[in-house]
Amino acid sequence: MIKRNLVIKTFGLTLLFLFVLAGCERDPDILEPAEYPSVPEVFIDGFSSGLNYAAFGGSRVDAFDVDTEVKYSGSSSMKIEVPDFEDPYGAYAGGVYYTSVGRNLSGFDALTFRAKATKPAEIDVLGIGNDLGEAKYQATRSGMKINANWKKYYIPIPDPSKWVAERGMFFYSEGPEDGSGYTIWFDEVKYEKTGLLAHPRPSILEQQDQNIDAAIGDLLPIGGTFVTYNFPDGTDKRIDAAPAYFTYTSSDESVATVDEYGQISAISMGTAVITAQLAGVDADGSITLNVGEARPAPAQPAPAPTVPAADVISMFSNAYTNVPVDTWATYWEFSTTEYEEIQIAGDDVKLYTKLNFNGIEFASQTIDASSMTRFHMDIWTPDATDLPAEFKVLLVDFGADGAYDGGDDASHELTFTASTTPALATEEWVSLDVPLSAFTGLTTKGHLGQLVISGDPNTVYVDNVYFYDDGSGGGGGGSGEPTEPAPTPTANSADVISIYSDAYTNVGANYFPSWGQATAASEISISGNNTLKYAGFDYQGIELASSIDVSGMGSLHLDIWTENSTEFNFYLISPGPVEQAYSVSVPTTGWQTVDIPITSFASVDLTDVIQLKSDGNGDIYLDNIYFNTGGGGGGGSEPTSAAPTPTYPAGDVISLYSNAYTNNTVDTWSADWDDADVADVQVAGDDTKLYSNLVFAGIEFTSQTVDASGLTHFRMDIWTPDPTALPNVFKIKLVDFGADGAFDGGDDVEHELTFNASSTPALATGQWITFDIPLGDFTGLTTKGHLAQLILVGETIPTVYVDNILFHK
Amino acid sequence: MKTKIRTTLLAVTGFLFLFTMISCDSSTDPEIPEYQLVWSDEFNGQAGESPDSTKWTYDIGTGDNGWGNQELQYYTDRPENVSLDGDGNLVITAIREAFGGQAFSSARIKTQGLFEQTYGRFEARIKLPYGPGLWPAFWLLGTDVSTIGWPQCGEIDIMEYRGQQPYLVHSTVHGPGYSGGGGVSKTYGFENDRFDVDFHLFAVEWGEDYIRFYVDDEMFQELEPGDLSGEWVFDNSFFMILNVAVGGNYVGFPTSETPFPQKMYIDYVRVYKAL
Repeated sequence: MIKRNLVIKTFGLTLLFLFVLAGCERDPDILEPAEYPSVPEVFIDGFSSGLNYAAFGGSRVDAFDVDTEVKYSGSSSMKIEVPDFEDPYGAYAGGVYYTSVGRNLSGFDALTFRAKATKPAEIDVLGIGNDLGEAKYQATRSGMKINANWKKYYIPIPDPSKWVAERGMFFYSEGPEDGSGYTIWFDEVKYEKTGLLAHPRPSILEQQDQNIDAAIGDLLPIGGTFVTYNFPDGTDKRIDAAPAYFTYTSSDESVATVDEYGQISAISMGTAVITAQLAGVDADGSITLNVGEARPAPAQPAPAPTVPAADVISMFSNAYTNVPVDTWATYWEFSTTEYEEIQIAGDDVKLYTKLNFNGIEFASQTIDASSMTRFHMDIWTPDATDLPAEFKVLLVDFGADGAYDGGDDASHELTFTASTTPALATEEWVSLDVPLSAFTGLTTKGHLGQLVISGDPNTVYVDNVYFYDDGSGGGGGGSGEPTEPAPTPTANSADVISIYSDAYTNVGANYFPSWGQATAASEISISGNNTLKYAGFDYQGIELASSIDVSGMGSLHLDIWTENSTEFNFYLISPGPVEQAYSVSVPTTGWQTVDIPITSFASVDLTDVIQLKSDGNGDIYLDNIYFNTGGGGGGGSEPTSAAPTPTYPAGDVISLYSNAYTNNTVDTWSADWDDADVADVQVAGDDTKLYSNLVFAGIEFTSQTVDASGLTHFRMDIWTPDPTALPNVFKIKLVDFGADGAFDGGDDVEHELTFNASSTPALATGQWITFDIPLGDFTGLTTKGHLAQLILVGETIPTVYVDNILFHK
Repeated sequence: MKTKIRTTLLAVTGFLFLFTMISCDSSTDPEIPEYQLVWSDEFNGQAGESPDSTKWTYDIGTGDNGWGNQELQYYTDRPENVSLDGDGNLVITAIREAFGGQAFSSARIKTQGLFEQTYGRFEARIKLPYGPGLWPAFWLLGTDVSTIGWPQCGEIDIMEYRGQQPYLVHSTVHGPGYSGGGGVSKTYGFENDRFDVDFHLFAVEWGEDYIRFYVDDEMFQELEPGDLSGEWVFDNSFFMILNVAVGGNYVGFPTSETPFPQKMYIDYVRVYKAL
């Protein structure tokens, strides 16, 4: 249930304990066999002997502290501060109290403690038996209600006889309640023999009597294991108990066996009934396992795809680089589907069994298939595929909002049978390769987020799931042309080796070599400005008339315009051939200037560049391809030009930072609670803030809060040398302190926006990006009269130049 | 191994203290009369049989205002609510079901008109039900209730219990001037055990000028006429009642976490007379 990485935080007591051990110099040979201590105390007024604490990964690691102010009795209690929603330090509070040496607690029947909280809440998970290892004897109580009064609580040990060397004393996990954090205290945490937890009713499989068909070789875990106890207040409560607490019985050990962890192994054909007991009490729930012969499986992997990678957006194939997919099995309610990742002759394959329907989700990074024409999926099933058996494929597009629902989703489901084209078949690979236009209800394809498979075959192997463009040019509209030429370059011609630009003298080159590409490459004129056009682009080369030496250059400049491309890579090539690609963020909004650091092509012999190449998809317009010394060769790790100067009338602006305006007072550019370094630098004579080691930066202007209620936009320019391709993100949060003009006070509002390489505006490397964001996009910012904090979150983008931070209308 | 805790009403604390002092001298223990068994039901019948109709009769329905306590159950004489289990026990079962306009059904049996006695030892060996809102009881009511009414008739509650406190039982006497919430009550409790996991013996020994309450033969309460704030009305014949109520102003409502059905198991009921 909880699988989280752990951040270990050891307390002083442990060190003391170790020291004491080291202090007794005993001959290891005369040590007696370990007898585990029977220490029932966990936390009375401090950590009991040998107790350690470790916070769960992703949690707020400082959520736990010892409190000497608030306590039930004695001198101190355990205090847990549950963070607010979107707390940058951690989304929830959670951790484990464990000992390094096991304790024998078999003489006790429950962990008991006193607890209270600053407000009524239900604690997500409280438990025992989590030892940071296999947690073999974990038991949890979920949704425990707590309020502002000290009260005694119990977590029963499902079978104390198992607790002869237990290390997992106590653990907790709790997120914000209704978005807000709060504080919980625990005190007098100890094991007791209460005698008050009665009528245990153990259950496996959520009390169901299941009848399951399996095949020889199948391994089936038994889940849904819990015990209902009648608590000292007479109420029944459920305690989830790890499967290892139970003792399993197979009615026929030659057909199926169950190991101590509750994993069933199907051994031979026949029927076996699996039942369980907990501490001698029969458990509700059973499995009648009908074991049949071993499942047929594909002997060969699916045929390897042959579509050029440039034409493909692949979700799953060893032949391609795959886009991120959130999950290949959503386990939606009522889905019986089980999912495994297997290999067939070295080829990765997805295996679905007990398939009724199964969701595959890629919602966090939707797929833009608008330039794709076909959908492909290979399947193999051992099951009957004669009519009326059918197999269905549903594609769902989340629409412009990029999120499920929202009123703009489009979807279509195709049904395959033995008589469709393509046709289903048994025990052979079938390529379901269909035009996207066959999904007639899929009226938008820009934000595909779900693929759902369903149907009669119970067992389905799946491989090579991808979208591709077969060059049929369908897809409809969208591929417009630029209406204005690329901006004229300003670099000094003495600093430039130009490949393609009207502004410079170009080195000789063949812009249209025939390399077998599908691309229709041509030169067009936009307002008299010559521009390269790559239509139906897969790849395209440029052959230089003679080799050039660009090793003294700082960067490669190009201007690119595309509405429909989802991938564009630019290469330099030296003899060998040796080539290296640089990925450019597409599609663009208007002309995009890209200055690629020359160091990005370090593996190419830069003294001997003979060709340039690009690959990707969509329709591309290029101009002003040239090498630039980059003003002395900063090498792209810092901007060589200043951020674009804002042109709003001064009367419409409240500026925090810009050479173009008079600026408000900013108290700090890096608050003491943040995690970033800031420096003042100049870029081409323009003052700029340089954030480095940026995790998140707090910019505070509390002494002169900003009243933006009459303004419409927030603007900020950033430049980063760091990779900005997904999943890298950059976040901007604005905080308004409300009418009291002070932090907290209950009237603060805030909103954080997240930007990535496919957002608007899109992140990009090595170029100034202007965020000019309607204040209305900060939907949580319901008041704007006392803006006082700006928080920049970089995380994976640690170096950011920032300029022109202002509000305007 | 069980540790017994005793709680007591303030009014009788002084008495308890006095008693403890006296008990140091064994010669002054309360004089226990010798008893002779005069009536019993061992409940040794077939599973599903109704209790012996020569010994027991029923209260049916909801009484007046939930038997005077806003109780939520409808009492029946159906075997679902009261019958032998074939293992030597009588079982009274409270069920969550719509019955007779109520949300629960249960049973209340009594010896009224069949067996009544003045003084003696009355005992029952019982395993109790559990859960918030469950209110089982083993008690005596004055035979003249039908003529002079309650509380003038007197009532001796040998055992009452709230399902949300399965480790406590209560004894009470009611009479004129000390009835309802003013009854004279005493609580007996376990620190590390509950009354719903095993059978326990609940008894009263009642004589001319005393009423003594016992759990598992340990006396935890003794009342004499001077301990009551009103008239001593315990020199007439009384009859026995066994019931499982659900809800009511003594115990509160059952909650969604109260398990149903709930069963009270009675191994035997025996009545003795002093020789």
